[in-house]
Amino acid sequence: MALLQISEPGQTPEPHQRKRAVGIDLGTTNSLVAAVRSGAPEAIAGPDDSVILPSAVHYGMKEEGERDIAVGAPARTRAGEDPYNTMLSIKRLMGRGIADVKSFGEQLPYRFVDSDGGMPMIETTAGPVSPVQVSAEILKVLAQRGSEALGGELDGAVITVPAYFDDAQRQATKDAARLAGLHVLRLLNEPTAAAVAYGLDQKEEGTIAVYDLGGGTFDISILRLSRGVFEVLSTGGDTALGGDDFDRAIAGWIAEQAGLGSDLDVSTQRALLDRACAAKELLASEDSVALEFGDWRGSLDRAGMAELLDPLIARTLRSCKRALRDADLGAEDIDEVVLVGGSTRTLRVRERVEAYFGRAPHADIDPDQVVAIGAARQADVLVGNKSRDDLLLLDVIPLSLGLETMGGLTEKIIPRNTTIPVSKAQEFTTFKDGQTAMAVHVVQGERELVSDCRSLARFELRGIPPMTAGAAHIRVSFQVDADGLLSVSAMEKSSGVSADITVKPSYGLEDADIARMLKESYAHAEEDVAARALREAQVEAERTLESLLVALRENGAELLSESELDDIERGMEALRLAHNGGDADEIHRRIEALNELSEGFAQRRMDASIKRAMQGHSLDEFDK
Amino acid sequence: MAQNQTHFEIFGLEPGFEVDRKALAERYRELQREFHPDKYASKSDREQLLAMQYAAQINEAHGTLRDPVRRAGYLLKLAGVEVSPERTTSDAEFLMQQMMLRERLEEVRGEADPAAALDELSDEVHGLFASEQKHFAAVFADGDLDAGKDSLLKLQFLGKLQKQVEELEEDLLD
Repeated sequence: MALLQISEPGQTPEPHQRKRAVGIDLGTTNSLVAAVRSGAPEAIAGPDDSVILPSAVHYGMKEEGERDIAVGAPARTRAGEDPYNTMLSIKRLMGRGIADVKSFGEQLPYRFVDSDGGMPMIETTAGPVSPVQVSAEILKVLAQRGSEALGGELDGAVITVPAYFDDAQRQATKDAARLAGLHVLRLLNEPTAAAVAYGLDQKEEGTIAVYDLGGGTFDISILRLSRGVFEVLSTGGDTALGGDDFDRAIAGWIAEQAGLGSDLDVSTQRALLDRACAAKELLASEDSVALEFGDWRGSLDRAGMAELLDPLIARTLRSCKRALRDADLGAEDIDEVVLVGGSTRTLRVRERVEAYFGRAPHADIDPDQVVAIGAARQADVLVGNKSRDDLLLLDVIPLSLGLETMGGLTEKIIPRNTTIPVSKAQEFTTFKDGQTAMAVHVVQGERELVSDCRSLARFELRGIPPMTAGAAHIRVSFQVDADGLLSVSAMEKSSGVSADITVKPSYGLEDADIARMLKESYAHAEEDVAARALREAQVEAERTLESLLVALRENGAELLSESELDDIERGMEALRLAHNGGDADEIHRRIEALNELSEGFAQRRMDASIKRAMQGHSLDEFDK
Repeated sequence: MAQNQTHFEIFGLEPGFEVDRKALAERYRELQREFHPDKYASKSDREQLLAMQYAAQINEAHGTLRDPVRRAGYLLKLAGVEVSPERTTSDAEFLMQQMMLRERLEEVRGEADPAAALDELSDEVHGLFASEQKHFAAVFADGDLDAGKDSLLKLQFLGKLQKQVEELEEDLLD
């Protein structure tokens, strides 16, 4: 058969060659990378033999005037002496606007500066840096660990985000990955990853609560498992509550006991927090710890700490109630409880969670590693190393998406906890006679007033033909993909004028910004930008060729005429030549041309799958 | 799954108000297993885009069929009856009953035992909602579209009220 004679140039990988994929838990306090090696997922250690990479980045200058960037433990140790240049808990600032960031200002000792796009930048001795850039530095180190452990350049990564992350925060995370040169297979919700790590997907069915209390965020997710399909029934939580708040509560208590005022300098604050964190960790194994700060000496026991932490833990349990409610369930309906996040090591947390759900939670896997391990398993599946038909993760959007209407009110288009991907459309009309433009303001949140919701994007639809008020029909469509990223389009029906936007919050990164930052970072690393662009184009070409090759083998002969097959093969040959040629632009042109040639084929393959799915269904019905 | 397929066709279900929820849930998982974009993560961009469109269509169909009010509205739409959102029922007795129920909802917080008062109200609203659904199913099966339309308007009222009751229950929990 002609199909089997397609030749492959040396540089195109064999379709069945094992791919290199990692799972990354980009955490507020700590980050990890894991990969499936010889069948089992495991966290990958760095040169210091620790699998945990503190999410800390220190910016300094070398004597020659070059930036000196340290990531991980070496950066964290600088926090006390050089707080302004040491970035900690940067995840809290991801995708946040300058206004949000100012509200954190009291908690984070950084000097913020406005940038042109309204994106907050942090002033360091090495110049201003954005939260996205800081996260990219952490991701680069993790990617490096992954590619060293797997023996080559990574083909893809699954990066986890809190289920509660909104669109802007997800977009910022994706931008950081791009900046770090990673191909993102999927942004995966952290709690879902944890359930996957525990292999709960091996069970027939059940309802699972994942309680995830990290350094800076709390998430509760209610998942349902039914014959290999993981469905997120609801999610809830708090993007600004975590173990760091435990530390702050304890630090506040120490400061009070030691008679310190509220006006403390940054180094003292940091020292207090370190002392508090150490006490919290000791109380996991000791009944009481001795404390001293300055001239003050005292002690804290478990009951004392419980009193300090209970109000914070109670907030997490309220979120649990709400999530159960959204899923139409009660605490008694939960079959399994999974604990995630270093803060669940605190005994008081375990006690309260166990009491609330009425069952002992799963806590066998290290709560710091569990998310990365689950992400690694999913990455292995998504990159195509395993065709695990029995594992599918269905996600929901955490917050409602809507539009601003007259009077500053929110019109919800997609309610929270809707399964994604999803697309929805709604019609609007004009307010004034002869109105020729319409402002579309996209917001996220549950409140009635736009001012209480989070603004995601604005754009304008222009060129509406003049009509009487209320006569125009403007269809606004929302589309959310499997990563939870939103695009919005608007069209006036009679004239067909349209406008659209992929939601890039005003404080997000434009493509040009990313290109510039890449250029800058490579200039420092003395890498050739053009070489990088070429390599990226080649990887994309390889992916395109490979997926088409597999598709042709599967059902090319059956779905394509001889001349169509010829055209596609010629397109593939042209792309192979371009691939080996070394001109990135030419490669992109050939990929686009080949995509056009094979579009009909893709559609027919999809239709064939549908037919298959339908047939499978009717057979099932006969069986019953 | 073509654009012109109805939600019922996508799920291989007989069009009608009564839906086998178990069959719906099973079929939903089967379809997602086939078309979820994750299944296409290493495929070409076009296939990824198509998969996303199909998966979104499946989710929309599932969301509509699962929700009794949306399902009723969809059935009427398929039968050529559009109900504008501004329309309201002209059944004076029903409207009066709604006003009373709403007043009671507003007064719950002031009751001596708000939780018990809300429980009672919640049971009543659930009962009314369920019986209106039965009514819709009966008149729709008889092909009485005018009665179906009126019933849908009532379902919308009751569905909204039930949601408000649930929201208050949640507030009282806190």
